[in-house]
Amino acid sequence: MHMSGSTVTRRALLMLLAAALALLAIIVMSGWLADSTRQYSGSLSRMTALRVAAGTLLSQLQDAEIGQRGYLLTEDRRYLKPYEAADAAVESTIARLRELADGNADELRIVDRLAVLAAGKREELAETIALMKAGRRDESLAIVRTGRGMSLMDDARRSLADLITPADAQLDTQLGALTRQARISGWVANLGGLFILLVVGGAVWIALSYTRALMQAQRAIQSLNDSLEQRVSDRTMELQRANDEIQRFAYIVSHDLRAPLVNVMGFTSELEAGLASVTADLDRRPAEGDDPMAAEARRAVAEDMPEAIGFIRTSTTKMDRLINAILALSRQGSRTLSPEPVSMQALLENAVGSFRHRAGELRCAIDIAGPLPSLVSDRLALEQVFGNLLDNAIKYLDPARPGRIAIRGRAEEDRLTFEVADNGRGIAPQDHERIFELFRRSGVQDRPGEGIGLAYVRTLVRRLQGDVTVDSVPGQGSVFRISLPRILTLASEKPAHDA
Amino acid sequence: MMRDPQTVCIVMIEDDEGHARLIEKNIRRAGVTNEIVPFTDGTSALAYLFGADGSGQASMGRALLILLDLNLPDMTGVDILSRLKANPHTKRFPVVVLTTTDDRQEIQRCYDIGANVYITKPVNYESFATAIRQLGLFFSVIQVPEAEA
Repeated sequence: MHMSGSTVTRRALLMLLAAALALLAIIVMSGWLADSTRQYSGSLSRMTALRVAAGTLLSQLQDAEIGQRGYLLTEDRRYLKPYEAADAAVESTIARLRELADGNADELRIVDRLAVLAAGKREELAETIALMKAGRRDESLAIVRTGRGMSLMDDARRSLADLITPADAQLDTQLGALTRQARISGWVANLGGLFILLVVGGAVWIALSYTRALMQAQRAIQSLNDSLEQRVSDRTMELQRANDEIQRFAYIVSHDLRAPLVNVMGFTSELEAGLASVTADLDRRPAEGDDPMAAEARRAVAEDMPEAIGFIRTSTTKMDRLINAILALSRQGSRTLSPEPVSMQALLENAVGSFRHRAGELRCAIDIAGPLPSLVSDRLALEQVFGNLLDNAIKYLDPARPGRIAIRGRAEEDRLTFEVADNGRGIAPQDHERIFELFRRSGVQDRPGEGIGLAYVRTLVRRLQGDVTVDSVPGQGSVFRISLPRILTLASEKPAHDA
Repeated sequence: MMRDPQTVCIVMIEDDEGHARLIEKNIRRAGVTNEIVPFTDGTSALAYLFGADGSGQASMGRALLILLDLNLPDMTGVDILSRLKANPHTKRFPVVVLTTTDDRQEIQRCYDIGANVYITKPVNYESFATAIRQLGLFFSVIQVPEAEA
């Protein structure tokens, strides 16, 4: 399965958003339900308190009436006790009812009416008891017989029922609404929960399959990487082998080319020696008149043969120099480098010192724009590199003007750059690369040399993990630029050599 | 027993016949008249030096001077040098190593193994001839030790 990372992220985000919305709905529903429940329970407790207070008021009024009846019948003052207790409590019960009815106009009206009724009843009771106490029993009973007290009590009972019935009905309505809400909430919670479960499941599935895809990709990359490393090391080994092969080849070529050359040279000398004895013998004999054969032989001995021998000599000498150059390069390639801290200032001062005499003869000034940065590298190789560059700079000065050679150096992080700049005759642009090739030279061939120096320099610098380039304007001068690592590490070279 | 230098026999192991001829000519020119036994490969030279059984008994009592080329078709001269210097019957024979290269490491290796003289065959023939002639002088002054029984 292939999914791009952004697709997966988008999908996962969308699913999480949906789940969050579902959760929000559940929370809102729960909050709503809790609010309704709280409202209902508030109503319920008020209602209960209202019922209790109403019941209390009724029983107090009845207690007061019972006490009055007992006293009127027996004239026993003990019956006045419940009457007095109930009578005293009625006011506070009414206050309690008013408090519970707070905010409801209908109920307040009923409570006000109850207060009036209660006051009327209490007044009737107090009047009859006062008459009884005064010994006017008949008058007292006459008041009872009017039925005023009974009708007051009936009115009070009705009012209390009026107060409770609508409150009860309201409570029922609220309970019904609450039940409906609870059912809806339950549904929302169940459906939401199910939905969240599905979303989370989906997200987990996506994550799992994505992770699986990722791991597959990683495995693929890993195996690719492994094979790449293998290929790189194969390639490196191949290159190393090829390089070793070239080194051996160069060595063998120079070795085996020299053997026949020794013969050519040796037997040429033998010829020369033979020729010398022939010449000596001829010189002793008188010239044989006009014999053309004898004249021919004399000319051959005196001119042609020495000339031929001379050419053989110069050619073999040249060939020997070329072979030596190849040999030197191949040796340089196989020499073990030994990096050590090298003060470039000291090294170049030394190098310049060894050229001072020749430079002085040519009226050439060599300046080191010191202090030069130091590095860790192979000292011998550096000496040879800068020795060759200075030698070239002096060799190819322009005789038309006094020579000036400047050596500069600068450091950039882990690489150093050195420049050997001269105001010599310069190098034509098409030769800037060619001069670094073996046996190739540039410009007028009026100076001694085989075209080896710069090839040697480049081989050395590359072995030091650096590079050499040239900037030059013919007739103005050249700048040879050498870039080297600040610290030469041979780690990569070691195993390759062992291989 | 006193040994006359004339009785010293020169063993020349050199595969290049031209070189062999030039060396011989120059030795003779230097006035050395000792017998020269030439070999053009390592195998036959070893057979001569160490005998058919390879023990070196064959060289017991011989007075030899060995001219050795390092570049042989069947083995390197260094192998022969090592064997010569390892065998009690041959280790005292002076060995002159002749080669076309002046590789410093190779020279040092030969001296380490026990080469007495190392001569580079230069293309500059005059110096080569001079070296060989000086070798002739060397022949006449060396005291070849009596081979041990």
